[in-house]
Amino acid sequence: MDLLAQIVVNGILQGGLYAVMALGMALVWGVLNIVNLAHGAFIMLGGYLSWCLFTYLNIDPFLGLPLTFIFMFVLGYAVQRGLLNLVIRASMFNTLLITFGLQVVLTYLAQLVFSADFRTINPSYAGDSVAAGPVVLPEARLAVFCVAIVLTVGMWQFLLHTRLGRAIRATAQNLTAARLYGVEPRHLYAMTYGLGIALAGAAGTLYGIVSQIHPYIGASLTAKSFAISIIGGLDNPLGVLVGGLFLGIVEALTTVYIGQTYADVASFGILVLVLIVRPRGLLGRAK
Amino acid sequence: MKPLLEVRHATRRFAGLVALKDVSFTLAPGEILGLIGPNGAGKTTLVNLVSGTLSPSAGDILFRNETINRLPAFRRARLGIGRTFQIMQPFPGLPVLDNVAVGAMFGRDGGHSNLVAAREYARECLEFVGLNNVIDKRADELSGPGRKRLELAKALAMQPQLLLCDEVMAGLNHVEIEEVIDLIRKVRERGISILVIEHVIKAIRSLSDRLLVLHHGEKIAEGEPDAVLENPIVIEAYLGKKRS
Amino acid sequence: MKARNMGLILAALVLLAGLPWYGSDLLVQFGINALLLAVLAQGWNIIGGYTGYASFGNSVFYGLGSYGVAIAMVQWHLPFGVGMLFGVVLAVAFAVLLGVPVLRLRGHYFAIATLALAAVMTAIVSNLSLAGQNIGLVLPPLNNDKLFYELSLGLLTITTLTIWGLTRSRFGFGLIAIRENEEGAAVMGVNTTLYKVTAFTLSGIFSALAGGIHAYWITFLDPESAFDLTLNVKMIIMAVFGGPGTVFGPIVGAFSLSAISEFLSSEVTSIAGLFFGVVIVAAVVFMPRGLADMLRRGRDMGWGYFAENIRRHRL
Repeated sequence: MDLLAQIVVNGILQGGLYAVMALGMALVWGVLNIVNLAHGAFIMLGGYLSWCLFTYLNIDPFLGLPLTFIFMFVLGYAVQRGLLNLVIRASMFNTLLITFGLQVVLTYLAQLVFSADFRTINPSYAGDSVAAGPVVLPEARLAVFCVAIVLTVGMWQFLLHTRLGRAIRATAQNLTAARLYGVEPRHLYAMTYGLGIALAGAAGTLYGIVSQIHPYIGASLTAKSFAISIIGGLDNPLGVLVGGLFLGIVEALTTVYIGQTYADVASFGILVLVLIVRPRGLLGRAK
Repeated sequence: MKPLLEVRHATRRFAGLVALKDVSFTLAPGEILGLIGPNGAGKTTLVNLVSGTLSPSAGDILFRNETINRLPAFRRARLGIGRTFQIMQPFPGLPVLDNVAVGAMFGRDGGHSNLVAAREYARECLEFVGLNNVIDKRADELSGPGRKRLELAKALAMQPQLLLCDEVMAGLNHVEIEEVIDLIRKVRERGISILVIEHVIKAIRSLSDRLLVLHHGEKIAEGEPDAVLENPIVIEAYLGKKRS
Repeated sequence: MKARNMGLILAALVLLAGLPWYGSDLLVQFGINALLLAVLAQGWNIIGGYTGYASFGNSVFYGLGSYGVAIAMVQWHLPFGVGMLFGVVLAVAFAVLLGVPVLRLRGHYFAIATLALAAVMTAIVSNLSLAGQNIGLVLPPLNNDKLFYELSLGLLTITTLTIWGLTRSRFGFGLIAIRENEEGAAVMGVNTTLYKVTAFTLSGIFSALAGGIHAYWITFLDPESAFDLTLNVKMIIMAVFGGPGTVFGPIVGAFSLSAISEFLSSEVTSIAGLFFGVVIVAAVVFMPRGLADMLRRGRDMGWGYFAENIRRHRL
């Protein structure tokens, strides 16, 4: 029983991180209709950025998070404005391909700059943990989880209650609606993509605290973000949070009770089932 | 004479919302039946039920005395039901000629199996609707009225027995409307029965043999065009809509 | 087809077929790789280019073809030909059983469902003892590159002839109609489900055959390399780069991109990867309809062609 509780808690803590990973992808996908295959590479980049801040400037990753967020936002804004806006009305293959190309470019750039070595952001408190009854909670993971929840809820509130957030949501329905909010579409698209990439960067920071970063993590993180976006639906950050938690718990349970190699079967198998049964996500509304 | 199309107590619900409620009517061979009603009355839903884009929640749809409720859309097309879409549905990247050739190649009884013959027949249909000078243009390069004609040509190429026309006159000017009315009459002369949805009352009055009026998903009147349009219930449905 | 073009194609085919007799061993090996990639790009062309379904599951067909040959030859000691057949049977079963539910999904959803299926297949095969689990299988070696080269060329020829036949048939016309507007195609009498599943199956058969040849040639396979997702991305890029929905575009794309990446990887590897990424990005921006379209229309329009592409697709 204690073991089960511990596994579920581990899954939940991991799931919070998954949710932030997928948040930016779901946003970009839902609003701009771009399945951003470079998303995982941007997560990787955010991780390296925080690693640099920590290693060279001694900035604690949690304090460095806003810096990474802002930097990645600017980067994302520039990529959308200068590049993706040029191809946004081409066929679906083309947006898939161009983001894949970006993924390749980012991966090899990272390999050139940072080498293929594994890196971890390792603050002094990384090994500490607190006990809650029979369950052990590693402090770093707990903190990561809390930040993840704050980001998700913050994102939700932002979309609901700010003018820009409402314009973004309107754009997800149709582009002319956005004009009614008096926002220039090119700018709005770039803001949305920038926000998605900033969230990816934040996820990368959190990922770097609890896992290892290397240039090739992008593809699998993209795949995972996909899965969560689909399971949670694209309409609502809270759906993504539920999707992330769900996947985290399922993976933790599969790893312990069935075997490590089946963890991917579970998550992707569920993804396929969800797609076939409810193509708009478990929590998504029918259009 | 046996009806070509018979709809019996057709009902269609969408997630609790009733779009069409217990509608029955028949359409005789060679007849032009006009279908009118305010926005949201369920006209397009009815066409979708007949063409197979949707299935009825209850009731039956009979074509040449056979129940076709559960048949997928492509089977109904092969039986001889052709349709146009209110929101036009061309094959945007294909030339106008090939748009129509798809209908000629599939369509009723499987159509022409050979591409050359299909294109030949498509050319005839395009000539019939007056698009013969733009056959090499891409469909998405056509003007609005051109697309309306393309929709008609595509449906005609299927050699249907029954043609469902969903607002082929919307957005056209007076001259263009007159032309389309003539066109639909010419289609009937080929022995094709037609169900026309239309907003332009004047046009549908002169075109239809009979009228069917839907309001809030229910049939509220049916019969001779003049009689139906003077029916107080029908007038109220339209005026009531205007007042609100 | 014009007689002149026909002659050109035949001449190119003869030139290619003779390569093992006048080319170096390295060139023949490069040729086998490029030809098999061209088969994969053509296979993807059927479901992606003509039918408009962006499959990320074609690497599964390739993997099933590889494992079909490997299992038949290693575990059951059957000849290569039987192994190829077994691989094809596996691919057809996969295409029909999973194609029916998955091909109901549209657009990105289809892409992702097939992507997920590919991940699931990798994991399942890694746990099958018949398939050597995650260690893989070692096939009996056959040092005859000439044979593998001619086999690959033959397969590419058959695949291309099939696609050429498609473009002139009722079936191919129906696929294009589905790509352009699926609902419109259905109400005009196209049996969309049957057509899509058939296209998916055809695409799977050719990919499986390519996988089978590759497995016997390379004599070793494990789940990671057999179901490699980047291979799937490669075939899409090659097809889209060359011109999806055209008979020869994917071949041109496969040959030119193979040559570029071969040339670069002989220089510096990580720069090569970087450059590959930049080529993809630039290609999407400047020639979104592929090389075939650029050669056709770009000749008349000159530099304006690139500007026109950007004007057409930007926000």
